Amino acid sequence: MAEPYLRVENLTKQFGPFTALGGVDLEVYPGEVHALLGDNGAGKSTLIKTLAGVHQPTSGQIYIEGKPVSFRSPRDASAAGIGTVYQDLALNQLMSVTRNFFMGRELKGPLGTLRMDEMNQIAHDEMLKIGIDFSDPTQAVGTMSGGQRQTLAIARAIHFGAKVLILDEPTSALGQKQQMGVLKTIKRVRARGDIAIIFITHNEIHSRLVGDRFTFLALGKVIGAGTSDQIGNDEMRRLMAGGAEMGDLEQELAGI
Amino acid sequence: MAERSEADRLKEETWLQRLVRRPEIGAFIVMVVIIVALAIASDGKAFNALGLKNNIKIIAQYGIIALGAAALMIAGEFDLSIGSMIGFAGMSMALMLKWGLPFGLGEATPFLAFIITLAMTLTIGWIIGTIVVRSGLSSFIVTLAFLFFLRGTTEVSFRLINQSTQVSGLPDYKEESWFANILGGEVFGWFYDAWYWFGQKMVAGVEWPARLTADNINYLAALNINRRLEQWVTGFDARFMWFLIIAAVAYFVLSRTQLGNWIYATGDNKEAARANGVPVNRVKVGLFMFTAFCATMFAACQVFDTNTSDAAKGNLMELFAIAIAVVGGTLMTGGFGSIIGVVFGAITVGLVANAVFFIPEIDGAWFRVFLGSILLAAVFANERIRKRITGGI
Ligand SMILES: Nc1ncnc2c1ncn2[C@@H]1O[C@H](COP(=O)(O)OP(=O)(O)O)[C@@H](O)[C@H]1O
Ligand SMILES: [Mg+2]
Repeated sequence: MAEPYLRVENLTKQFGPFTALGGVDLEVYPGEVHALLGDNGAGKSTLIKTLAGVHQPTSGQIYIEGKPVSFRSPRDASAAGIGTVYQDLALNQLMSVTRNFFMGRELKGPLGTLRMDEMNQIAHDEMLKIGIDFSDPTQAVGTMSGGQRQTLAIARAIHFGAKVLILDEPTSALGQKQQMGVLKTIKRVRARGDIAIIFITHNEIHSRLVGDRFTFLALGKVIGAGTSDQIGNDEMRRLMAGGAEMGDLEQELAGI
Repeated sequence: MAERSEADRLKEETWLQRLVRRPEIGAFIVMVVIIVALAIASDGKAFNALGLKNNIKIIAQYGIIALGAAALMIAGEFDLSIGSMIGFAGMSMALMLKWGLPFGLGEATPFLAFIITLAMTLTIGWIIGTIVVRSGLSSFIVTLAFLFFLRGTTEVSFRLINQSTQVSGLPDYKEESWFANILGGEVFGWFYDAWYWFGQKMVAGVEWPARLTADNINYLAALNINRRLEQWVTGFDARFMWFLIIAAVAYFVLSRTQLGNWIYATGDNKEAARANGVPVNRVKVGLFMFTAFCATMFAACQVFDTNTSDAAKGNLMELFAIAIAVVGGTLMTGGFGSIIGVVFGAITVGLVANAVFFIPEIDGAWFRVFLGSILLAAVFANERIRKRITGGI
């Protein structure tokens, strides 16, 4: 078995008296999609924000290619190859596709001038590679569809050297057709073989369609993990429901 | 039919459609209407040799501070302390020029008075910005506090050091000091020289009556010739040059540089900008310092032009600056705005503010009625532009 690119060991995160993460283990491998599942409030976003350097862990250790690391800021994490696409995508609606693509990492000429033509070209090419042909990169992001915005955010993370691509519920706010578009994009990134993807969702069908490996979180703890072969559909449904048996739930509902 | 893609849904636009959709277009049309209306109503006097000079003087004054206010608004913040900062900077320079440097360090040259004042105002701008970004408080309230604080400090300093809230009768520094001259003197003399040269060609060989008629005088004024048939106006006020320089630099920075991208990104969605590594706080603090700089330039041009200052200088200017920025197409919510639009806005507002001098029959208070009306119209127009860009959210 190849070495995981990113490994998390017994990670905990307290917000004051509240335990958001209570000892989480996770391994992500290049060329694989690792689906992170769990109900609202399970701690998925907290986990990835810790990986992305937004939060500092209370205890536990993160390893990159076997070496222990600690991130003091999102910049540290990004330099270590962790590219995060947040739920709100970190895009600016009023700005153009290109200006968003290079936000904070602009290509500069003399006097800090922007190399606009070059930047337009790169933004266009990078988005084309993972699936959309965007004819006008000077268009404002506000006029793009949700799926296109996802693609932009993903292309941006990859272009700036992401080795681990973290997608926080990329399909949750989209219509059916656009959801499929995002799943295709995920598949295309996976096919490159060099990028590890953490795909957060609470949609069981989506995770089945693209996931190679699963981790289920409930109330800040891992309640189940395994590859897609190891986890059958029933087991998956049980874990999605936070570990409760479906039969129990049906009884409970019937009793109301 | 080939497979349709999302990109096909974006219609190709002609250059004319693009032009009409530019954010400055509203400000541009209003400006043209005002220029034409004023030219007709003043019988051309608003744009004769002296009329142009005086109009450009007030346009440049408004423009300098409106550029600062607009850049800051694009980054999502307000500065209500601009007017008081003008008063403070004017006080500081005038008192140093009259009473010497602080701590008995001797006489102040115009250059020293300016530099020491600028160091103070930039520091205050830094303090304001730092308070805003550190506390997360609304810049509206923080700068409102500084509006009172600085105006009060200005008045108290005048009384303590000068016994009166006014300094007048300073020597005319521009005669001696090149530095005072580039702030308070005249610029672009060649423009008026050429105008006079052309005027002379026009009237060559004309026999003038012993007593010139009003029509004669009007005609000569439009040719930069005075009643004694000499050159009338010799140059623009230096603030015109500073306005052009600041506008050019602001335009270049905002549209062409990395810093410009950071300014837009900061005002659009601060968290998104921060997540991508934009130093949001430094951008904001820097822009508060920029508005302080603009206020200081406004004050310096005034002090060295008139050789006076008083505690009320710059009163209400922060509101004019913000109004002009909005008329020029800057969004109140940040993330969007155009320097060219702000220039158009400054021209419009400046011309209307001055109109009473050229059309004496109108009541000067109509200026504020007009400003209120176009401000309201501009806010609605800007909101439509924002909705169009963000797809209606
Ligand atoms: N900054 C914070 N301070 C305090 N509590 C937080 C903070 N962030 C998240 N939480 C809490 O941690 C829990 C897990 O949240 P989150 O990671 O967002 O869940 P998920 O993304 O799985 O829905 C929630 O109960 C949430 O209220
Ligand atoms: Mg979440």
